[in-house]
Amino acid sequence: MKKQNHFALDEKLSEISRRDFMKFCGIMAVSMGLPIGVAPQIAEAITNPKRRPPVIWLHGQECTGCTESLLRASHPSLEHLIFDLISLDYHETLNAGAGHQAEAALHNSIKENAGKFILVVEGSTPLKEGGKYCMIGGRPFVDIVKETAAKAAAVIAIGSCASWGGVQSSPPNPTGATGLPEVLKGTTVVTIPGCPPNPYNFLSTVLYFLTFGKLPALDDKARPKFAYGRLIHENCERRPHFDAGRFAEKFGDEGHRQGYCLYKLGCKGPITNANCPSILFCDVGAGAWPVGTGHPCFGCTEQAVGFKIPLHTQAEVSQITPDAAHAPIETEQGKGLSAGAAGVLGGIAGVAIGAGAVIAKQLGQSEEGE
Amino acid sequence: MSKKIVIDPITRIEGHLKIECEVDNGKVVNAWSSGQMWRGIEVILQGRDPREAWIFTQRICGV
Repeated sequence: MKKQNHFALDEKLSEISRRDFMKFCGIMAVSMGLPIGVAPQIAEAITNPKRRPPVIWLHGQECTGCTESLLRASHPSLEHLIFDLISLDYHETLNAGAGHQAEAALHNSIKENAGKFILVVEGSTPLKEGGKYCMIGGRPFVDIVKETAAKAAAVIAIGSCASWGGVQSSPPNPTGATGLPEVLKGTTVVTIPGCPPNPYNFLSTVLYFLTFGKLPALDDKARPKFAYGRLIHENCERRPHFDAGRFAEKFGDEGHRQGYCLYKLGCKGPITNANCPSILFCDVGAGAWPVGTGHPCFGCTEQAVGFKIPLHTQAEVSQITPDAAHAPIETEQGKGLSAGAAGVLGGIAGVAIGAGAVIAKQLGQSEEGE
Repeated sequence: MSKKIVIDPITRIEGHLKIECEVDNGKVVNAWSSGQMWRGIEVILQGRDPREAWIFTQRICGV
């Protein structure tokens, strides 16, 4: 195929071949629950510098794990892509300047790009005692985040801490750690929970915004439906073991070694919405996610589950598999818990994610076959 | 006459750090380093099942 003009990005990012770049755009399209035909539109949005928006990235109470997971994304030079795709004006972990130089970069960017920049917040906001548990440049983080958000075009909370408080909001929540949607009441905050969140859920959200100029469809917790539409339990590779009643009873027992279902060890997959089993982590192939490695899911994306329900406490299953031999005429699936209802609501997006994972695999195979 | 230099925030690190330095005649005579963020992980851990302590302590630093 002839090289097109807007793939001048190839020269800019010499490590990325056109094939890899288009493959990336295709994977991004399907992972967002969009037809693969949208890939050229995504490519156009990425390579069109007019739309390269400034990004201000603030850190509250956090461990920098979200940033790390984003930097570790090993799809073809993704870190190059994200830094060329956006203009990262302020990020404490990555800023070259420190002290007043860093603060000046922040203030200048807010001033010059008012109403145009994307604000990304990593970490929770402590509200107790006037916010003194997180201070930057002598000011409480809560003041900084409110002031900056008021001038942003879009606000994204990355990770569980920014989304709903995270680990430090566990009882007794000593600092009053609070999620961004609560701190910025009345502002639309897209949340990408996870500890750490999958970097592709964040990247897909940013790409969606760049491609279509609006935010993707969100669920009732302001999470993109394409990523959080389904329960982990619904797409889990160990689900057949659950349905067949094959469980690991203890860590290291025969069932555990056989890769049986981890439900009895306290897996929170049945009450946690996320696409971990579909898109996996770290681009290293099958099994690279908590359950795949033999550890129960602990529900890090869910405010009511992660760091709240004890690790080894069994989850309540809301969607019981009907008996295949006596399939009832009227099933009562999805009744009762809200997590189940959310799963049904996001069903269509969930199917698309599944398809995306399959297509991504096929892309990889066809390349190998050539 | 001593002069005080304050660098806050310190960048390229995980967390929030502030460094204050007192310089007298080109020599540092006093310096302070202070963490500007506290989450209370120690307080949260009290009374919990020890088997899940790692979930909390692991998240002190993600770098």
